[in-house]
Amino acid sequence: MIQATDLAKVYGAKTAVDGVTFTVQPGRVTGFLGPNGAGKSTTMRMIMGLDAPTRGSVTVNGAPYIRHRAPLREIGALLEARAVHPGRTAYSHLSSLAATHGIPAKRVDEVIEMTGLGAVAKKKVKGFSLGMGQRLGIAAALLGDPQVVVLDEPVNGLDPEGVVWVRNLVKYLASEGRTVFLSSHLMSEMAQTADHLIVIGRGRILADAPIADVIASQGKARTRVRTDRPEEFSRLLARSGVTIQTPEHEVLEVGGLDPRSIAQTALDHQVLVYELTPLQASLEEAYMQLTKDDVEYRSHDASRHDEPPTPTADGTPAGAASSPQAPNHTQEAAR
Amino acid sequence: MSTAVHSHRHSAAPQERLAGPNFLRVLNSERIKFLSLLSTRILLLCGVVLLVGFAALQAWGIGQVTRSVQNGGTAGPRAEALDTTSAILHLPAAGVSFAQLIVGALAVLMISSEFTTGMARATFAAVPTRWPVMAAKGVYTIVVGFVLTYVGAYIGGLVAQPILGNYNLHLDMGAWDVQRFMLLNAVYVAAVALMGLALGALLRNSAGAIVTLVALLFVLPIIFQLIPGDFFTEARKYLPTNAADAMFEAGSSGALNTAYLEPWQGTLILAAYVVVLLGAGFVTLRQRDV
Repeated sequence: MIQATDLAKVYGAKTAVDGVTFTVQPGRVTGFLGPNGAGKSTTMRMIMGLDAPTRGSVTVNGAPYIRHRAPLREIGALLEARAVHPGRTAYSHLSSLAATHGIPAKRVDEVIEMTGLGAVAKKKVKGFSLGMGQRLGIAAALLGDPQVVVLDEPVNGLDPEGVVWVRNLVKYLASEGRTVFLSSHLMSEMAQTADHLIVIGRGRILADAPIADVIASQGKARTRVRTDRPEEFSRLLARSGVTIQTPEHEVLEVGGLDPRSIAQTALDHQVLVYELTPLQASLEEAYMQLTKDDVEYRSHDASRHDEPPTPTADGTPAGAASSPQAPNHTQEAAR
Repeated sequence: MSTAVHSHRHSAAPQERLAGPNFLRVLNSERIKFLSLLSTRILLLCGVVLLVGFAALQAWGIGQVTRSVQNGGTAGPRAEALDTTSAILHLPAAGVSFAQLIVGALAVLMISSEFTTGMARATFAAVPTRWPVMAAKGVYTIVVGFVLTYVGAYIGGLVAQPILGNYNLHLDMGAWDVQRFMLLNAVYVAAVALMGLALGALLRNSAGAIVTLVALLFVLPIIFQLIPGDFFTEARKYLPTNAADAMFEAGSSGALNTAYLEPWQGTLILAAYVVVLLGAGFVTLRQRDV
């Protein structure tokens, strides 16, 4: 279990982490999601005792990291960027770490086997691909058979096969009752891997809930309706609390009404409807909604002033649409 | 199964049963790190080659001078004979001025490379108290500095013997003054290496730390010599290299050189440099974020 209490880190004038409080529970995969520069890596470095918090505290299995007599056996971490001397072989690297805890050579061979590094274990890390480097980092994290596993952007640079491997690995680790804390800025990856989500933006926690709840709380359920008389049908459906968008010709996206009452309206007024599809709010939408004010590096900050505070803008807020990455997500969400 | 693993490891005083880092384990870890880098081995080899090469060159040079004096050189034969004797005594350690740079750079890299490569994150996550890592590196620094210098000088002396023999000169490797000078130089190089390690921990930057070390050992003495005035003449005695020169006089069977401090003073000054820099290095390592 990882517990952070009012954890903060200030670098000069910049507040990287601004008093976060959260608990990462064992037995499930907890995703740590946030835009670049949101404070994910800084938080993880503070968990690992590498950076000292400016304020607050963080404990692993009940004690600060530095207090553990055998830290690698409590918590293993893959932190951002490589933590390896490129002139060493994967085997020497792992052996040197294992030696600090008296971990036998047998275990080093085991994690090499487990992470699929067998063929390159005796080669210098210098020549490793990004994916190989990630695997080596994961091997190092698992070396002490730790109860808590922290992985910062583990799928970075992995090929599709590697991505699936990481996904299955973290799920397996969680199923063994371990605490798994996984950071990513890839929402699609989180949607498939995490059970629980902690969303961070500009150093503050924006959401801390089961992944389904995060989606439910942020995205509104909508229904896609195809009809040959869109204008007339919109007028028929319109009433307070109902939002209607026309993403393309002859297509309506209706929020605030369930498919059954839409169908009833169509029947009552003899309007031909040839599609009626409930739309799941996606994690992307929920995430965009949560972080729209908290994206650290957007190309024009002025965009925030254009943002209309109207809550009727459904899953695709007009404000977010003016930030550069928003259009992609809007399209993805609509699919 | 899942809960079994969990409770099994965390119910019954897990910290008693699970081995964690202690100094011997960290020492072992640092040994693996030290020996698994090709660059380390190359630098060590360079150090020994340098010491042997300089000893051989020096032997040849002394031989040439001696021969030219014998063939009717200008200098008085008595004075030359005295110089040659002292030069032969110092011959095995002739390459130390250069070998110290190699060992110093190696010591800097031992710790600065941790930070430049990002290895420090793995290292200090494994040993979060941090000081055992630096202490272990310090142990290898001392061993390498001392052993490399002594062994290199010894081989250098052995190589020099036949060369000197050509000129009817003799070097007795077992002589007190030869052994004394070699051992004191080995101590000196170990001290320089410790300074390098401390600078590496302080600056975390390979180039910066090596340049600082060179400045301390080579540039400052020259600057102090160039600036006129009694203050700088006096202050120069307190620089590490000059303090070391004073230390080298310790136990000498000859007269002491008055240009230096007393041997014990020189030794203390040199030790003070090492202690202060190492102390600052330890504090920095403990306080600063990795």
